Amino acid sequence: MLPFATSGSKVTPRHHVSGYSNGYPRGGTFELSPHRFQPRGTTPSFRRRRRLFVRLGIIAAVCLLFWMFLRPGGGSLFSIFSLGLLSSGDDFQLETVRYYDLSDVQGTAQGWQKEERILLCVPLRDAESHLAMFFGHLHNFTYPHHLIDLAFLVSDSKDNTLNVLLENLEKIQADEDDTQHYGEISIIEKDFGQKVNQDVESRHGFAAQASRRKLMAQARNWLLSAALRPYHSWVYWRDVDVETAPFTILEDLMRHNKDVIVPNVWRPLPDWLGGEQPYDLNSWQESETALALADTLDEDAVIVEGYAEYATWRPHLAYLRDPYGDPDMEMEIDGVGGVSILAKAKVFRYGVHFPAFSFEKHAETEGFGKMARKMEFSVVGLPHYTIWHLYEPSVDDIKHMEENFGDTSSQWEKDKTEMQNIVLQEKKKQGGGAAESKEKPDKLIKAQREERKETRKEEKKEERQPRRGGQQVTEDR
Amino acid sequence: MARPMGPVRLKKTNPLTLTIGIALCIFILYFLLGSSAPDFSAARKATAASHPLSPPTSPFRQSSPGAKLKAPPVTRYNLNNVTITNTPVENRENVLVLTPMARFYQEHWDNLLQLTYPHELITLGFILPKNKEGNAAYAELDKQITKTQRYGPEKDRFKSIIILRQDFDPPLISQDEAERHKMQNQKPRRAAMAKARNSLLFTTLGPDTSWVLWLDADVIETPPSLIQDLAFHNKPLIAPNCFQKFYNSEKKKMDERPYDFNNWQDSPTAQKLGESLGADDILLEGYKDMPTYRTLMAYMYEDGGDVHYEIPLDGVGGTALLVKADVHRDGAMFPPFSFYHLIETEGFAKMARRLGWQATGLPNYKVYHYNE
Repeated sequence: MLPFATSGSKVTPRHHVSGYSNGYPRGGTFELSPHRFQPRGTTPSFRRRRRLFVRLGIIAAVCLLFWMFLRPGGGSLFSIFSLGLLSSGDDFQLETVRYYDLSDVQGTAQGWQKEERILLCVPLRDAESHLAMFFGHLHNFTYPHHLIDLAFLVSDSKDNTLNVLLENLEKIQADEDDTQHYGEISIIEKDFGQKVNQDVESRHGFAAQASRRKLMAQARNWLLSAALRPYHSWVYWRDVDVETAPFTILEDLMRHNKDVIVPNVWRPLPDWLGGEQPYDLNSWQESETALALADTLDEDAVIVEGYAEYATWRPHLAYLRDPYGDPDMEMEIDGVGGVSILAKAKVFRYGVHFPAFSFEKHAETEGFGKMARKMEFSVVGLPHYTIWHLYEPSVDDIKHMEENFGDTSSQWEKDKTEMQNIVLQEKKKQGGGAAESKEKPDKLIKAQREERKETRKEEKKEERQPRRGGQQVTEDR
Repeated sequence: MARPMGPVRLKKTNPLTLTIGIALCIFILYFLLGSSAPDFSAARKATAASHPLSPPTSPFRQSSPGAKLKAPPVTRYNLNNVTITNTPVENRENVLVLTPMARFYQEHWDNLLQLTYPHELITLGFILPKNKEGNAAYAELDKQITKTQRYGPEKDRFKSIIILRQDFDPPLISQDEAERHKMQNQKPRRAAMAKARNSLLFTTLGPDTSWVLWLDADVIETPPSLIQDLAFHNKPLIAPNCFQKFYNSEKKKMDERPYDFNNWQDSPTAQKLGESLGADDILLEGYKDMPTYRTLMAYMYEDGGDVHYEIPLDGVGGTALLVKADVHRDGAMFPPFSFYHLIETEGFAKMARRLGWQATGLPNYKVYHYNE
């Protein structure tokens, strides 16, 4: 057949399908002819895919169930819907809002019963060799460990301080004994090094001393501002080089319920030097002489205790110690030493800090005491409650000793006789044999002192000046 | 007549209806159960602390109620790596916005929300007194916080929010503007304010804050790019000029007037006046019976002047103030006592100066205070 003939056959005859050949329309007549349903020969698309939908539904249901069994932790509908659909499956929620009422953290005399949290601040620099001793103290604290948060500042350290510190702390937190675990532990790293070099002025030895104190103040402020939280009731500052201190020191100091409180700090010495010596001379009561002196000084001048030239005639906490005195006896002071300070957190919250500038002619811990007094907080020292600083003749010490050898300023003479008197007094009592120390820590100290006497070296020196005897005014720049 | 209806019915209950039904069920279930648990992106979760005992400037993981809390981890913070630069967004620097709040203003909150600085880098800190007024302000603040942090879009949600209640009573002075600004009421009022600011600052600063923005609760309008704009100058302390919008009945239209008079440059007269005062007395600004002749930034505004124009300042106000965190870390605080005869924010500028940090002002960059 020819192609045009086939194409011609597709032309629909006009009057054939729509009706009968007689011309009447088909509609309206009763008709049972099967071809009436012919145009709907295809099933509706939804019905056609119904099986597919059913299958998908079954698969989805199985998946859900499967998921439910696979995730035993998040078995509830809740977790399936929120985590299964939204996130990749971390099963924790974030808390972004914190609410604290500061009147709950005022600090009271019985903090350990009221679950009051203490922030323990420890500034460190090249302190690797002291850390073992420090962790011994940490282990022995009787204050509930989980209520103590630790904060360390490691600055400009050239030794292995940081790693030793980390290792020891991680060991504590992994201890099997839950009561050994401490609260929040922060290690703050910050180097102030560059500034030291800028500030050190060789033309005047004491200028360097003043800026050293300012730098230490700065370090303390950085540590505190990074670690103080709204849930702290107390802040305890402690140096690593404390050799002997009662295990109960936190409770002992807290019991006094003072805003700022410090113990007396002495250090043991080899027997030929007198056996013991006042160490921390930064805790003192203000005197008229010192106030008059301060008025004559330049705005940036810092009176640094311990490098004698001017006599300020301040009563020092250290020299007032009586080994058999009442350890609970209190004494109001104006300057404080930084070896071991317990303060209510609100002191720091209200803004008292360690001035890294000359505040009323003082810086660092002494300025801290001054500022606390300015803001009408109680600042108290315990003359007969003693902790013991490590004795180590440093290069600095020896140099200083040589520099000042034979120096007989009035303050030094006064200091020396006072110290010797105390030593004599103690020896008399020891000789008597009857007097027994009433404090456990004091016994410990004595035992250690005995040991030291046995192993002491054959150094020969007639005299040794107390490391921080007398005062010196130095000027920064 | 029995018409076969079967096929018609089948057609009506078609699977599309079923599918829609199931989908609706899932949606209802999802919104019923899932909406109470909004979630954060993995990136945000990664920056969260693992224990509730952690710096409040970071969110922390909520532990499941049954689980026993583990001993807190040993956490290292290297403050040598906390940068403070003039491109804070690029360097992902954390900003702490601190606000002492006695009254809640909705406009203040709305203004915070419209800040364009990435909200995941902003921590808000509030301190409210513990009295009736404080409770009312807290209730409103809490409502807005829940709305944003819980139900708001993630980009609106702030990194964390800290609310503190003061542990001391504010001096009994009415909050009425006229009474509040009386001279003899100023010292106790500002001393209490200084304590509130210090409490807020030193408990929230934490180890990873780069900038601290002080913004009073009654500052209701700032440019959205406030943080970036101020940080751009890279100054230790920088204060914009605080104005107030009011209805000028003479001109019969809205007008503006200077508001914060604590941003000033010192004068020899004020210095001399200070010397004549007792050790605990303070110098105040903006009072007729104490003319100090200081140069006030409030009056240095020039219409159409360069918004980046900088001037050195000796005293700052706290209405809006951007401070490098290092200044506070060095110890610069708001003295609640007479410090060189200055108190609170003005004393703060002086203390910062003593620590070697100079304050700067932007006379042509304006923010607006609420009009009572």
